[in-house]
Amino acid sequence: MFVHLLLAGSLAVSGAPLARTAAAPGQPCSAPYLIDERLPNGARWRLCWEMRTIEGLTVGRVAYTPPGHQQVGVLRSGALAQIHVPYDSGEPRYHDIGSLGSAAVALTEADCPGGERRGQYTCVLTRARGHAFLKDGFGDPAERRSAQGRELVVLSAYQVGWYTYIAEWIFGDDGSITPRVGATGSLAGTTTAPKHGWPIGVGRKHFEESHSHNIFWRMDFDIGGKARDVVEQYDFSGNRTKKRSMIRTTLTRETKALNWPMRWWRVVDPRVRNADGHAVSWEINNSGSAEYRGPSDEAFTHSDVYVTQYRACERLATMNPSPRCRTSVDAYAGKERVKDPVLWVNVGFHHVARDEDADPMPVHWQGFRVTPRDVTARNPAASAGPSAPPQ
Amino acid sequence: MRRSWVLAGATLSAAVVAGTAMFLSGGEPQASQVQRQPPPAPGDPLSQDEVRRATEVATASSRAHMASGRIELLYVEREDDKAQDDRRAEAYLYDYADDALIVRTVDLAEGKVVEESKGRGVQPPPSKREELRAAELLLAHPKLGKGVRAEYKKASGRQLRTAADLQLRGLIFRDAGACRTHRCVRLFVRLPDGRFLDTSRIVIDLSAKKVQTLEW
Repeated sequence: MFVHLLLAGSLAVSGAPLARTAAAPGQPCSAPYLIDERLPNGARWRLCWEMRTIEGLTVGRVAYTPPGHQQVGVLRSGALAQIHVPYDSGEPRYHDIGSLGSAAVALTEADCPGGERRGQYTCVLTRARGHAFLKDGFGDPAERRSAQGRELVVLSAYQVGWYTYIAEWIFGDDGSITPRVGATGSLAGTTTAPKHGWPIGVGRKHFEESHSHNIFWRMDFDIGGKARDVVEQYDFSGNRTKKRSMIRTTLTRETKALNWPMRWWRVVDPRVRNADGHAVSWEINNSGSAEYRGPSDEAFTHSDVYVTQYRACERLATMNPSPRCRTSVDAYAGKERVKDPVLWVNVGFHHVARDEDADPMPVHWQGFRVTPRDVTARNPAASAGPSAPPQ
Repeated sequence: MRRSWVLAGATLSAAVVAGTAMFLSGGEPQASQVQRQPPPAPGDPLSQDEVRRATEVATASSRAHMASGRIELLYVEREDDKAQDDRRAEAYLYDYADDALIVRTVDLAEGKVVEESKGRGVQPPPSKREELRAAELLLAHPKLGKGVRAEYKKASGRQLRTAADLQLRGLIFRDAGACRTHRCVRLFVRLPDGRFLDTSRIVIDLSAKKVQTLEW
């Protein structure tokens, strides 16, 4: 009886198990936790998903198969690692994780258009992503090249107080991964001084308080397995000069890195090569972060990308729930040699409310891009898919 | 101008928010099919049976303290350590008397605890039961409790029966005072008319069983 009572508590989260069918040989997970989607251009994504009590939706064992190529492993796991919400007057300052698993919102068919709900809380769908490419034929229709791209989306939503967060993992048919979070639901509705807010509603009585959503993602890259992965940072010198030169910095030790104009990073496995002999990698860029920097006791906000050596117990960017480990990502990024890199990406959005944010608040998105760099020797979609030029 | 916060009085100011929140996220309905489940694959979440077994093993040495309310099981998560091939579960327990988090790792094949770590100042997110207990402490507070009841009555036309009538979400608070070492929760409380109470300055100390209000 005692265990039954405990169990009732333990299972009172959205991650309560679904009915499974046996995993096919060689598959890392069973239905309904396996997602294996071949997009119209021939690109294929295979991954496992899990609704974890703390992090909520987690993707794991993510592998990409470019059209006409062999499968390559990309991520061992990817998950939200914190949503830090400091208000502009200085208080309050929330850490919205939060047991996201028990805050998951039951999704309706309308929340998952054309897709498939896996249990009540996770939606798997594909949707158009606009042009994959377009090239004029200069009068020759046979030379004209145009294709429409599609993407696989795995999403869940969480109700944390008045906010609803929609968390998407987007896997493009071009091999890209876009983790993003949309904030919607309701504004807090609290008032502040004019210097910390924006007047909403009638007149100038209610100044809704501005605030940041500093969202952290944790991504454990394992390109073609966990061995040999290296993180590089790319910069381009030349300020007010015509020439620019590329500067590559190999991050052999744990690093706290800042965004910078034109700067990007990649995770590369030097032994996994494409047909041109170039090392396969994924590039991290385009966060468009507001780059919030908090006080000294919030040092986790002081960098945009953290590279750390893999440790299973380093799960959240702040408020890490493990006695064996340090508590925040700035402390994980010490001086250790990185043999198996984990990347933590911090993307901030500063929300200055406007009249249009009245209930239900329109969704505002933040995220970043992970794009393949030299995974294939050519554009793998060039001759594939239904939008390919007529033969 | 400060926030329109009314703490000195007996009422809580309710933020005017017509939320469309859906808080009811109960378990999935497939419990009856559990018996016929195939063995889990490495990347699968813990099965219901695995959670039950992990709970039994991880709590075996703490039964007396759990019965007295000193220790509580927060939840059981799958351990996702890629160095481990075996299926393992991590049980999160909190010891309120010692103000320490205990994480017991259970090897599911062996059916035993293979690792235990314990530490102070480590606060995983509150469990559902803790959210409820925090709301009970808030309702038991002479002034604030009265305020919550009044707002509930105003929102629903009914008397509040128990804390379970409120829609709750809790986040850990550890930025000030005793909450630097105690287990403290800040609650979001949604009323039946969709408004949220302004609870941003209220912190419920589960270790000391006290409600405090923050000054800023």
